[in-house]
Amino acid sequence: MSKRWLAAVPLIVAALVFATTATGSGTKQAKTGGTFRVGTASGIDSLNPFVAFNQDAYSTFEYIYPVLVQYDSHLKFAPFFARSWHSSNHGKTWTFKTQPNARWTDGVPLTAADAAWTINTSIKYANGATANVAGLVAHITHASAPNPTTLVVHYKQAPGNVLGQFQQFFILPKHIWAKHLGHKGAGLKTFANPAPVVGSGPFKLVRYQKNQIALFQRNSSYWGPKPKIDEFGLQQFSNDDAMVQALKSHALDAIETVPATSMKTLRNAGFVVSDVPGLDQTDFIINSNPKKKKHRELLNLTVKAAFDHAIDRKKIVAVTFLGAARPADSIIPATTGSWHNPHLKPVSFDLKLANELLDKAGFKRGPGGIRVAHGQKMSYNVITPTDVQSIPRTFQIIQADFAKIGVQLRQQALDSSAAFAKMTSPNNTYQGFDLAMWDWTALIDPDFMLSVVTCAQYGGWSDSGFCNKRYDKMYAKQQLTPNQNQRRKIVWQMQAFLYKQRPYLWLANDDSVSATAKNWVGFKNTPQGPFNELNIQSLTQVHQK
Amino acid sequence: MSNVAPLIEAPAEATSTRRGFLLRTLRNRPAAVVGAVILVVVALVAVLAPWIAPYGLHTQVGPVFGAPSWRHPFGLDDGGIDMVTLLMWGARVSLVVGFAATFVSMAIGGAVGVAAGYFGGWVDTLLMRITDYFLVVPDVPLMIVVAAIWGPSLFHIIVVIGILLWTSTARVIRAQVKSVRERVYVKRTRAFGAGHTRIVLQHVLPQVAPLLIANTVLTVAVAIFDETALSFLGLGDPSTTSLGKLIENAFQRTAISSGAWWAIVWPGVLVTLIILGCSLLGGALEDALNPRLRVAHLSARTFRLRPLVGRGEDAV
Amino acid sequence: MRGIDYVLKRVAFAIVTVFVAVTINFVLFRLAPGSAVSNLSRVPHATQQLRHALEVQFGLDKSKGAQYLIYLKQLVHGNLGISFENQQPVSTNLRVALINTLPMVTLGTLFSIVIGTLTGVIAAWRRGTPTEALTVSSALGFYAMPTQWLGLMLIIVFSGVLPTGGMTNEFLLNPGFWQHLKDLASHIVLPSLTLGLTLYGEYTLIVRSAMLETLGEDYILTARAKGLKPWAIVRKHALRNAMLPITTLVALSLGYIVAGAILIEIVFSWPGIGRAVYEAVLQRDYPMLQGAFLLLTIAVVLCNLIADLLYFKLDPRITE
Repeated sequence: MSKRWLAAVPLIVAALVFATTATGSGTKQAKTGGTFRVGTASGIDSLNPFVAFNQDAYSTFEYIYPVLVQYDSHLKFAPFFARSWHSSNHGKTWTFKTQPNARWTDGVPLTAADAAWTINTSIKYANGATANVAGLVAHITHASAPNPTTLVVHYKQAPGNVLGQFQQFFILPKHIWAKHLGHKGAGLKTFANPAPVVGSGPFKLVRYQKNQIALFQRNSSYWGPKPKIDEFGLQQFSNDDAMVQALKSHALDAIETVPATSMKTLRNAGFVVSDVPGLDQTDFIINSNPKKKKHRELLNLTVKAAFDHAIDRKKIVAVTFLGAARPADSIIPATTGSWHNPHLKPVSFDLKLANELLDKAGFKRGPGGIRVAHGQKMSYNVITPTDVQSIPRTFQIIQADFAKIGVQLRQQALDSSAAFAKMTSPNNTYQGFDLAMWDWTALIDPDFMLSVVTCAQYGGWSDSGFCNKRYDKMYAKQQLTPNQNQRRKIVWQMQAFLYKQRPYLWLANDDSVSATAKNWVGFKNTPQGPFNELNIQSLTQVHQK
Repeated sequence: MSNVAPLIEAPAEATSTRRGFLLRTLRNRPAAVVGAVILVVVALVAVLAPWIAPYGLHTQVGPVFGAPSWRHPFGLDDGGIDMVTLLMWGARVSLVVGFAATFVSMAIGGAVGVAAGYFGGWVDTLLMRITDYFLVVPDVPLMIVVAAIWGPSLFHIIVVIGILLWTSTARVIRAQVKSVRERVYVKRTRAFGAGHTRIVLQHVLPQVAPLLIANTVLTVAVAIFDETALSFLGLGDPSTTSLGKLIENAFQRTAISSGAWWAIVWPGVLVTLIILGCSLLGGALEDALNPRLRVAHLSARTFRLRPLVGRGEDAV
Repeated sequence: MRGIDYVLKRVAFAIVTVFVAVTINFVLFRLAPGSAVSNLSRVPHATQQLRHALEVQFGLDKSKGAQYLIYLKQLVHGNLGISFENQQPVSTNLRVALINTLPMVTLGTLFSIVIGTLTGVIAAWRRGTPTEALTVSSALGFYAMPTQWLGLMLIIVFSGVLPTGGMTNEFLLNPGFWQHLKDLASHIVLPSLTLGLTLYGEYTLIVRSAMLETLGEDYILTARAKGLKPWAIVRKHALRNAMLPITTLVALSLGYIVAGAILIEIVFSWPGIGRAVYEAVLQRDYPMLQGAFLLLTIAVVLCNLIADLLYFKLDPRITE
């Protein structure tokens, strides 16, 4: 008998094996279930929306509390708890149709009445306990819920950013929070809102230990898209190094923010590192207080332009951020989509031009090569807050280049409260500084960033002392322009105006860098990071391969 | 007989002449020699740093966290700057802080000790109560609080450290001054009508000086240690680079997880050597001068401990 | 002076020290540059009236004298104020943190005593040999290392083998008793070892000299002549001699242990009181800093008092 058929056996076996595995992978069924472990070096500072300040806390609220609208992948508004909406009465009345048959995690029905209560309560105590969210409900007179799925909001004047504000507004369960009003609403702030939190979102927060861990479980009673995982946890580390170590040793599955120096290490170790443009921008601040007494040459637009051209943004991106950033050009970063004025480009690095501009301004070089302006040396202190990590290296680069145009800079590092206090001194008159460096984290809606250079923000958010009536008029106008196209035009005009006025010299727009283990997919990185306040896509879509 | 024995035995030593006691100490105790050699070498390198540093302090000479190589035996830091250069300049800043803070504490402690020991009575009691208070307060938390409130600058750090380190000096000096005051020639000078100031300057201080110096060397160790701790907490001066700041910087820029162990190991080794050198030298000096004080040298950081040797009138 | 006088005197001193600490605590924090609430009022979406509301909430609109009295009154009731960061009572935040720190610090101190005693015995027994020099030098060497740097060194060495962050593996779901214990143990090793290594030098030297003194005594020579085993001698006589200074040293080292704990907890992400102080510094959370500082000072004063009384009990001659 011929034994040749034996030779075919391995082939048959191989074919069988191949067939079974092929079928297995061919169905492309994502694995569901499991626990997704995320690391953060920041953390949740409080579970109370009237107290919390950290991004991680807001991102948490996005996943456990109802929000009327969310941003989709193109940064357009998409339905969330509100299924549809329309405005009437020239934009002074907004009506939202909310999700029917929704429940809180303790079984109590979730209706538009909860939304109305949260809004009215926020307004009522806006000067006290709910001051944290008061800006989001500005211009609202009151809200009502004529039936469980209809929310009606009445405005004093028709604002231009209704949806942008509601996108950040978390709806709280009335039956839990109304018990904590206390003395003039003060109880709203002291209520710790401990886990397990009564909420309504794709997840419920079941365990929270400050500085350690927050554990989220899939919420089976959720009315929206169900997450693919059973659970996820946010583990807090006191430093970046420990967090990256934990990822490398597979004690974590992903980390929210990857420090620039670890990007290469993680890539080499086989992790998926995602690098997308972010919302954070570093800046060089020139005190633009028109009533400034000392060094008034800094109010000269030619001088400001010269300074702008003496900044080597490419080098800053390469050295300080190791390439994980791009040169910035406007107070509204490009990552906000169409809100950014696309005609504005980063200022060129041109020392020759800078020198010419300063020569033209008549500020000749004096002893030591330092220029003299109005009888005084162009030698300045630059105030820097100690909690912005990128500043020391960036300052060194700028200092070296400014020396080449005859301007001497000295760094004065203070911690952020002291820095802000000095800059605004005395008594919010902004006479206390000449130059400073800081950073801003923008929101998608431009209203907030545009407000920081208004006269009204003296002593509030302003760190530049900029105060210009024309700008303030434009700001007020965009706030009250319901038509988004018209509003956009004004927003672009404002950016172009600031581009010439230069209260800020924008340095770099840093990237949002996150890392995930190879066997997990769907942890979507956005300008606000993968765990963000924009929408619930990341953690509802993430799953094991 | 006390239950507590002398902690490190040493040959009995005549402590009389100031001149020569240093050399005698060095000759008899190898620990002192090791300590002195370390300190002298480091101090020389630190002083000459601007001239002998191989590369610029802010010059990037390679990639971020470049590995050690022949040209850069200690590797590069997170800005691509040569570590050897950074270590030299770092030693310079650390030693400056150490000595400056020590100078402050020496001045305060010496003054308090002399006043308390010389005048005795209620002055002594008051000053010793104040000293006791400072002895008991946990120093690092207090430094943290003050640095956080005042802000991170070299000057503040120096003052803060100095203000907390004077207590042990005060106690040691006070004991010495007390014993000097009882000496016959001082009593005679008083009888002749000499003023307090003259006696203190001409007779008391010279006797106290060697002990003050020994104590100073020990204080430098503590000052450098404290500065390293403060830098690590982000409270060091950001525009200067001390060795503590080098460690903190590397740590913040994820040196360990990036595998760049050289950015952390070498600054720490250098700090350890400096502290060790000061402890060995200062301890040996103090040991030689007054065997009863031996407990002080062992605790380079906790030498603010109340002494375990002697109590009551004998307390030092 | 008689015994009871001594005790009373030390207790009175402790009380006065605490009072002075409380006052200095108050003064220090009122000297903070910038209004204490200026950081807080820069919250997103806030309105201008917020700063005033915050000042009223924290009592900063009253005179300094009135604030001091309120502060004292609150302290007597155990109220350490409200944390800026999470608006919760400082005492609650600190209590949780302290509970986390204690096991790590206790274990670390135990390590230092054990390692110190062992090396001290070895050094004394092998007097004059290179072993002694090596033991004493390494003791001094470890003692000279900055605590945070030693912690980082241990991380570099053990990073694959032992966990280097946190108190437990938070993702260990429903662990069994032994599994949980093993997890806790593996996380506590490196931080407490760091503390132990930086502290043991002191104990080495004390034990060594106590032993040297005892070993030279006549009755020891007699015991050896009689054939008593060395270890028995060590245990019965020499170590007993060292008990007193060791005990007092533990109490008196508390100030340093506190400092070490802060640095170690930052390096190892340990959620204890040291890390609470660090986070409070970063946030400029003054009530937390104030409360933590007061707590630590009182702890140290208390331990010093205990050390004094213990010393007195073990050796009443000191009051003579």
